[in-house]
Amino acid sequence: MENIKIKVNGNEVEVSPGKTVLQVLKDLGIHVPVLCHYEPLMPQGSCRLCVVEDRGVLKTACTTPVEPNMDIKTDTPNVINSRKLVLQLLFSERNHYCMYCEVTGECELQDLGYEFGLDHFEFPTYERRFPVDNTHDFIMMDHNRCVLCRRCVRVCSEVAGHFVLGEMERGIDTMIIADMDVPLGNSSCVSCGLCAQVCPTGAIIDKRSSYLGREVQSEIIYSNCDMCPVGCGMEIYKKQGANFIVKIYGDWNSDVSHGLLCKVGRYLSLYDEKDRVVGIKLKDDFGYRRLHEDNLIEIFKNKLNNAVAYVDGSLFNEEIEMIKEIFKDKVYSLYPNNSPIPTNINLSELDNKEFYVVINADLNREYGAVGSIVKRNVIGKKAKLMVIDKEFNSLAKIADYVFNIKDPNLAMDILKKQKEVVVIYKDITEEEKNLLSSLNNAKFLHLPKETNSIGLQKYDIKHEKVEAENVFIFGKNLEGIKDLPIQNSFVVVFTPYEDEVLRRADLIVGITNGFEREGSFYNLEGKKLKKEKVLKPDFDVLDLKSFLSTVLGKTEKVF
Amino acid sequence: MGKIKVASVWCEGCSGCHMSFLDMDERLVELINKGLEINATPITDLKIPDEGTDIGIIEGAVATDHHEEEVKMMRERCKIIVALGDCAVFGGIPTMRNYIPREELLERGYITTESTVDGKIPTSPEIGKHLPKTKAVNEVIKVDLYVPGCPPSADAIYYVLKEVLEGRIPKLEGELLKYE
Ligand code: SF4
Ligand code: SF4
Ligand code: SF4
Ligand code: SF4
Ligand code: FES
Repeated sequence: MENIKIKVNGNEVEVSPGKTVLQVLKDLGIHVPVLCHYEPLMPQGSCRLCVVEDRGVLKTACTTPVEPNMDIKTDTPNVINSRKLVLQLLFSERNHYCMYCEVTGECELQDLGYEFGLDHFEFPTYERRFPVDNTHDFIMMDHNRCVLCRRCVRVCSEVAGHFVLGEMERGIDTMIIADMDVPLGNSSCVSCGLCAQVCPTGAIIDKRSSYLGREVQSEIIYSNCDMCPVGCGMEIYKKQGANFIVKIYGDWNSDVSHGLLCKVGRYLSLYDEKDRVVGIKLKDDFGYRRLHEDNLIEIFKNKLNNAVAYVDGSLFNEEIEMIKEIFKDKVYSLYPNNSPIPTNINLSELDNKEFYVVINADLNREYGAVGSIVKRNVIGKKAKLMVIDKEFNSLAKIADYVFNIKDPNLAMDILKKQKEVVVIYKDITEEEKNLLSSLNNAKFLHLPKETNSIGLQKYDIKHEKVEAENVFIFGKNLEGIKDLPIQNSFVVVFTPYEDEVLRRADLIVGITNGFEREGSFYNLEGKKLKKEKVLKPDFDVLDLKSFLSTVLGKTEKVF
Repeated sequence: MGKIKVASVWCEGCSGCHMSFLDMDERLVELINKGLEINATPITDLKIPDEGTDIGIIEGAVATDHHEEEVKMMRERCKIIVALGDCAVFGGIPTMRNYIPREELLERGYITTESTVDGKIPTSPEIGKHLPKTKAVNEVIKVDLYVPGCPPSADAIYYVLKEVLEGRIPKLEGELLKYE
């Protein structure tokens, strides 16, 4: 399409049609205040803070497309006074007494008040009291601070795909509600936390991060979540000069998750309450005795003859590489890590498909970001969904077809008739694999069990059980130890968490975990992602990567 | 430059704003040298401002009938009324009680508090009676200048007084304009 000519504050400019006035003004570097507008969401033009004048008429910049012959003015008294009036109304409709508010100092409404020099309320305020909903585990909703911008409603549907939030009543009586007006804690909310991230005011706050500090007092670290193989992009706010994380936001610029995060990444990764293995413990006749760090390398090297190593998918690529180097390829995986049918679609291509098949994974509970993509297409864009599961799957209630694993042929008949289907699967049997592979209209996304399962595949580490005099185990999930042939072996375990099965170990080494360690891994799309080190460990634990490189003589000092 | 007479009152506030006023420290001397004359204030312990006072500063919200009288008298006797601090400007912390019925509030404060024995709601006519609602000063009288903040910084107060002394209308901006 050809460019069109418009005037902006008296100057003629050429702009491409299809843009909104707001986009054009932004490109020109002209500041326009916004409140309901939020970049990744559909504009709705409700707050009217972004108004500009076009040939004498006030228009909302965020929703008005540019047209030929427009004569936009952004700073006439009419524009400024209208914005001020809107602000005055917003401040007095509910309780915006900032002194009590969790977000004071980083509130978009407050910033607008300062920008427009609002130094008092023109209308009587505190006339009505609104409820506070504190029923949710992670977020609190204080309706007294709500400006009805509907960012939360839009993000919960358009982006997160959960369609929990909505509104009730009209005008100033409008209330943001969950489901059919139930307390947030009893609603269908899956705690992805996106609503709290986009709320411009103190109406939805993250309980854990409350009063821990402001964004300006934080250092922002971009990293990827390693709690599951999706690897969502994280924007981590770490308090400057302190050793704690204030909060975690989804990174809108991540080319994996495009802003998504789930409960696991955003909240559970910060609420880790499992017991940690502290120090280095060697078994002797009286139980375990603490070993000095210097002795560890010695024992480690002495036991390398006739030794094998087992790893799980929590290890990073760098660690796997060094373990392979040390154990001369006698490295095995504690768990199966193969993808029965190779993945041939990535997350960025997952939107706008017509037919999704989800097999043996409840995407409301695990792989949350994938769940969001499927749900926003199924509920929001009417794509079809087939759920095949041996167990209860909470996606079933929004599915068009629900199958038990026992009648695969019927499901196959339906799938074959589709133009294209996207199969998102976790565990499948050999027989199911053969059936599914025969579909020539399908794209496949495998959901591996462990964060770096794909890494283990790439390093060719197989799931085998091998006997040896000395057995070294590295990892977080120790369940698999029970099945190893280690009755007569000397067993060394490097792990972050205490576990029953550690009683079988002769030497136990506590290692760094979560935000204490860095490294790279391959996510379910096969993208190499980086996890950053954000915190210093609070315990006496060893960093596996530094330890291994010391064993290999690559670095001088390990501790 | 002639003298500029200043008076102040302390309604439903915590005195924090007056403390911030004193926090101007040696700049107070500078203002006095420039012609500021401090008249009836809680600091001088005089209660009735002179007629024709130039600047009347009000700390605190309007919560009782006494406050209402006080601010009305300020309005009558002062040329410029300054609402000083969040309570005077927005109603502030004292408006918390607006959501609770007055009777319930007094009952809780004077009788049912855990530490109270034989409590009694005071009835002396010397004590102001709660209005149905605690209000910002501009809901009762016309206000000319607003200095929000809880309390406003000494810098903000200094700026406002200096501008007035020099014959300009102050406009708070940037670091000087704060709601908390
Ligand atoms: S939401 Fe913003 S404007 Fe409203 S009280 Fe809180 S900090 Fe102030
Ligand atoms: S936490 Fe997520 S699912 Fe729950 S209401 Fe907010 S956006 Fe919706
Ligand atoms: S809760 Fe927050 S995001 Fe939702 S409408 Fe209210 S102010 Fe906007
Ligand atoms: S979907 Fe996975 S990677 Fe994304 S936040 Fe949740 S646990 Fe982390
Ligand atoms: S930002 Fe345009 S109307 Fe709200």
